[in-house]
Amino acid sequence: MNDQRPGFSVTTIAWAVIIFLQIPVIVVVLASFSETTYLTIPPQGLTLKWFEAVLTDTTYLTAIRNSLLLALGSTLISLVLGVAASYALFRKMLPGTEVLTSLLMSPLIVPSVVIGVALLQYFTLVGLRGGFLVLLIAHVVITVPYIVRSALASLSGIDLSVEEAARVLGANGLTTFRLITLPLIKPGLVAGALFAFVTSMENVPVTIFLAGPRQTTLPILIFTSVEMGVDPSVAAVSTMLIIATVAALFVAERWTGFHRFV
Amino acid sequence: MTSVRSGLLLFGPLLLVLTGAFVVPLLLLAPTSFQEYQPGSGIVSGSFTLGNYARIVADDYYREVVLRTLGLGVSVTIACLMLGYPVAYLIVRGHPRWRLPLTLLVIFPLMLNLVVRSFGWIVLLTNRGVVNNLLTDLGVIETPLKLMFNLTGVMIGLTHIYLPFMVLMLVAALQNVPRDVEAAASTLGSGRFHVFHAVTLPLTAPGIIAGSILVFVLTISALVTPRMLGGPTYQVMATLIYDEYMQLLDWPSGSALSFSLAFVTILIIWISSLTTKRWAGLA
Repeated sequence: MNDQRPGFSVTTIAWAVIIFLQIPVIVVVLASFSETTYLTIPPQGLTLKWFEAVLTDTTYLTAIRNSLLLALGSTLISLVLGVAASYALFRKMLPGTEVLTSLLMSPLIVPSVVIGVALLQYFTLVGLRGGFLVLLIAHVVITVPYIVRSALASLSGIDLSVEEAARVLGANGLTTFRLITLPLIKPGLVAGALFAFVTSMENVPVTIFLAGPRQTTLPILIFTSVEMGVDPSVAAVSTMLIIATVAALFVAERWTGFHRFV
Repeated sequence: MTSVRSGLLLFGPLLLVLTGAFVVPLLLLAPTSFQEYQPGSGIVSGSFTLGNYARIVADDYYREVVLRTLGLGVSVTIACLMLGYPVAYLIVRGHPRWRLPLTLLVIFPLMLNLVVRSFGWIVLLTNRGVVNNLLTDLGVIETPLKLMFNLTGVMIGLTHIYLPFMVLMLVAALQNVPRDVEAAASTLGSGRFHVFHAVTLPLTAPGIIAGSILVFVLTISALVTPRMLGGPTYQVMATLIYDEYMQLLDWPSGSALSFSLAFVTILIIWISSLTTKRWAGLA
């Protein structure tokens, strides 16, 4: 029966690939502690000065704040709009459920860079360029498919008779949704919201066409500063993002068994 | 009828946002792509031309970029498949104790900021980067290898970025292969390699195809990694669109290129979903 276990060579290759996946992360973390003004591995000396440089630089701080506000705002709006729309689809309240579902998922199919230029041209045309609101709307468009996907998947997993029981016992539609349906789909929604948040946090192809100089986000800042040459403060801010990602993944895994939803 | 009304109430807000900030903007891209652009003076108003589309196939430079993009799509997909299959196999068929940690190690890079991952590869691959320094110190090379601003860098970066997607698709496919079938083949005298070749591989074909299409589509529309590792000279379709909009301000050419890129991706996804449905019908 041991025959079906992966052999030595497969295991070795697989582990090599897993290490390959982690290499850039390890390199960035190590480079951010180096005393030198250029990036080097192994780090020369050990310093936290690049982290200090990031945390005292208003350009970085503004970008971090913009990114967090944008990701938080668009995730919340997407959650409310997406869950409401998904529930209407799940309950088949409207005709053409299949077409409507494809519409909600379509921002995933169109290349981001195309969405970016389309919105750039459109918002220029209607004279609405360079504001936070424009970015927020754009990020709702690109994050909402993740909410809809997880909401629909979670809704299809719940037993309809539970909802019916609540209705029979006298609860109205809203109360039933709040007390019965919502708690049942919550783990899936948390996973979907995390995906939405991450998608907003890392978006460049849409944001770069729409953000004015005052709305620069963290990934845009890193993306554009790399073109001018890299210095260890980029590594330091990247390390901070890496730590935040590890923490988020850890919490999500503990909380919802996140890996099941990927 | 109250059901339709509450349906509209629930669905309406999102429908409004998606129509106003996604569907209409995309449709408005179409007229621009048929307008003429004069360098210096901008878009010629009232003009109509097919030249922006014709150039994509006729012009040497554009054709090179398009072919390079599609070629990258194919090579990155193959690389992800070759590297991803062993990982997926180890996750599904390896010791159950390793299952969760391995899965998390695959998901982690996926959740990590794309810009950070690409930046990591810059640190590794630049002229005086980690790889070149290591090879020089070991005496393998004397002058640094050119690992960035060319095919090598973009290829490594994109493979790294999209590999987790492939692994997760293959894990899902492998989980659906009943072990009994493999055991039966093995009992009937098939060798290990033959079991894999004749049973496991065909049974995971739908997952292989789904993963390949996902990786291909993501690769041909990627902007961040090709720009960061390919620089301003090694262009792919997405970076060319970016330059045409932001640097050259030639929106007509940019929108024609955007439409072509969107058309190719949507066509591929549409064809693949048709085939998958047919397969599901047969099964």
